[in-house]
Amino acid sequence: MNRQTSSQPPGGRVLLIEDEQNIATAIAFILQREGWRVSTHGDGTTALAAVERHRPDVVVLDVMLPGKSGFDVLGGIRAGARPDLPVLMLTAKGQTKDRERAEALGASRFMTKPFSNRELVDAVRVLAGSAAPPDPV
Amino acid sequence: MTRHVPTGSRIRERRLSLSVKQTDLAARAGISPSYLNLIEHNRRAIGGGLLTRLAEALDVDRAALAEDGDAALVAAVEAAGAARGIAPRALEDAGDLARRFPEWGRVIAAQAEAMAAQARTIEAMADRLSHDPTLADAMHELLSTVSVVRSTASILAQTPGIDRNWLGRFHANLDADSRRLADGAEAMVALFDRQASRGADHLLPSEAVSRFLDAHGHRFDALETNGPAAIPDLVAGIDDPAARAMAAEVLARDAEDAARLPVAAVLAATEPDDLIAAAGGDMALVLRRMGIVDPGRGLVVADASGALVRRKPVAGFALPVVGAGCPLWPVFAALGQPGRPVATTVETPDGAQWRAHAVAAPLAPQTFGGMAVMRATMLLTRVGMQGAADPVGPGCRVCPREGCAARREPSVLSGRGS
Repeated sequence: MNRQTSSQPPGGRVLLIEDEQNIATAIAFILQREGWRVSTHGDGTTALAAVERHRPDVVVLDVMLPGKSGFDVLGGIRAGARPDLPVLMLTAKGQTKDRERAEALGASRFMTKPFSNRELVDAVRVLAGSAAPPDPV
Repeated sequence: MTRHVPTGSRIRERRLSLSVKQTDLAARAGISPSYLNLIEHNRRAIGGGLLTRLAEALDVDRAALAEDGDAALVAAVEAAGAARGIAPRALEDAGDLARRFPEWGRVIAAQAEAMAAQARTIEAMADRLSHDPTLADAMHELLSTVSVVRSTASILAQTPGIDRNWLGRFHANLDADSRRLADGAEAMVALFDRQASRGADHLLPSEAVSRFLDAHGHRFDALETNGPAAIPDLVAGIDDPAARAMAAEVLARDAEDAARLPVAAVLAATEPDDLIAAAGGDMALVLRRMGIVDPGRGLVVADASGALVRRKPVAGFALPVVGAGCPLWPVFAALGQPGRPVATTVETPDGAQWRAHAVAAPLAPQTFGGMAVMRATMLLTRVGMQGAADPVGPGCRVCPREGCAARREPSVLSGRGS
């Protein structure tokens, strides 16, 4: 399930949790082009384990995932060992109730599809700048 | 026939004919002389905003510099990017994309056109979206696919010298996602068809009346020949009593209009002014009759609150089925100056131009001390390019125009609508 797609630093680590392969490919390419090390994960059920394993600086999290929804995953992150981990949520629905739910669960940022590549890259950069460093492995 | 001369060569010819130095032209266009030199020797593709700036600097029409066929494709790709909010600097890559990958350029342009068409349908369903999980799922699929296509197309446009493996991969993804987009659009249309065939049980009376009028093209020949006597039979098929009564009121007014301005006279007229005398100076009557009799014209009637009480759509000019229209429509300007006719040319976001005639008048004869109930009427007629025109849209929710001072809510097309 995991597809390690890291390249050279220095932008920090991004974990992209997105089940749609083509959008994951595009987002990973965009972020890697900017110097980020990107790992992708496509399943909600094992997403929290992936967060533990990859120890990212920023998580980009889709709402619609197989197994568990992005909301469930976000709740798990906030209740886990790194509650301050920046999480950028993506959804195609963009409805007020989705945004409100994401905010209530502690999403750092919420973006609706379709978004521009630049908008996404800028959001990740801003979130990474506000992140507390992960504990040493 | 236009010469098949590359764009760069045309720029060079024009510059030399004006005795302008390469450095001066480069400065005016905001690029380096060396880059201009590459363009002039056709070693760099050009299009989009840069071509426009060079054309302005050379005091020549942009089309005169573009190669045959390029300009339309570049403009279409550029418009697709602009509609999706690509940064102005990135828009200049449209020419490069269209030149290097013309087939993909056509795919992007076709998809943008398809999305604009879908937008008109989305407006009708947007208010019900949150109540219809099937529709919401279909929208989710469509927006997800649009997102992939947009990101992938941007990568291709903005990553010069992209690795061949990545290039092949993105081309394959774009191919797959464009098919998926087509399938998603087809599924959406099928959903709407099913919604339409479910009957009028879930509609408000005003929606049921709109559907009834639209189904008949707003024109009832029986009213023209038999007058109000034809109304009971015409509305008998409307189940909801409230909607049936509303429809009967609308048709009664149409029958009265038909008696005052017979169809033969309307068909013989070209411009509203041709009928003013026959209508006894009632300009609103002229506009209503021309709008209803001619299937090639659109008609909008608004009350003083801005609510659209009659909307006869016409191909190419989207009218929202529910909700408000565009505040820039001349029909609303007419409301602010009752009795004064407004005639102006407007341009829809797809670049089409329309002649709009509008006037506001009391619904019934006024009395001293009585309250005037005003109605504004607008007739829409498609025209060729007339030069400058007032920009209008189909209503904020499905309007792609950015930076519009009249915008009151974000567009579902851009997600922003600044």
